[in-house]
Amino acid sequence: MSIMDVFFIASFTVPEKINVNPQSILWLLPLIASISIVYKATKIRKIKAAGFLKEVVILFGSIVIFMVVTAIVLCALAWLITE
Amino acid sequence: MTQRSKEAHALFLFLVGLLAWLVPGAGHLAINKKKHAIIIFVTIALTFCAGLYIGSVGIIDSVGAKPWFIAQLMNSPAVAVLGRISKAGDYAVYARPNEIGQIYTSIAGLLNLLCIVNAVYWAHLRQTETIGD
Repeated sequence: MSIMDVFFIASFTVPEKINVNPQSILWLLPLIASISIVYKATKIRKIKAAGFLKEVVILFGSIVIFMVVTAIVLCALAWLITE
Repeated sequence: MTQRSKEAHALFLFLVGLLAWLVPGAGHLAINKKKHAIIIFVTIALTFCAGLYIGSVGIIDSVGAKPWFIAQLMNSPAVAVLGRISKAGDYAVYARPNEIGQIYTSIAGLLNLLCIVNAVYWAHLRQTETIGD
């Protein structure tokens, strides 16, 4: 086993350093991307690159927009209750 | 459909489901959906590996986080082997990376469950459409 292999395997045995701050919410984006890709792969019978990409981007955007709207509504509610 | 062909059909559906669980995307490959199979395999494998990289192999915890483990197990039976490795070793796992890693690996598992059901459904449709023709 080469040194590169050892480093590669070792990187899976120690957690990454992720702080609890607003930026850590961005870890959501790759997950939304993979959900959009797999969901659309199960929905579209014949995959054509352009059409598939368009569908994935639309779904990705819809999920992000919905989550942003939900966050704004929850923030507004929290502000109304606490003020 | 005769009794014999019904049995063969059920066995084929079972095999497609089993393949889809063993390797993400293999179920779609079995029904000649190569593009779907590649997309599913790459996406699910990357999501799962990203989760392991973020939270360490310790996030696969068959004792302390059973519900998460069940979802992770949907990726492939190979996750059970990782669970044993994780159980035997003393791998650091904590706080936010633990949460994010568990969410990534579990969502990957649930996405694979969706693909298993989809592959079996398409295999069933293909068979019934062939008989209908």
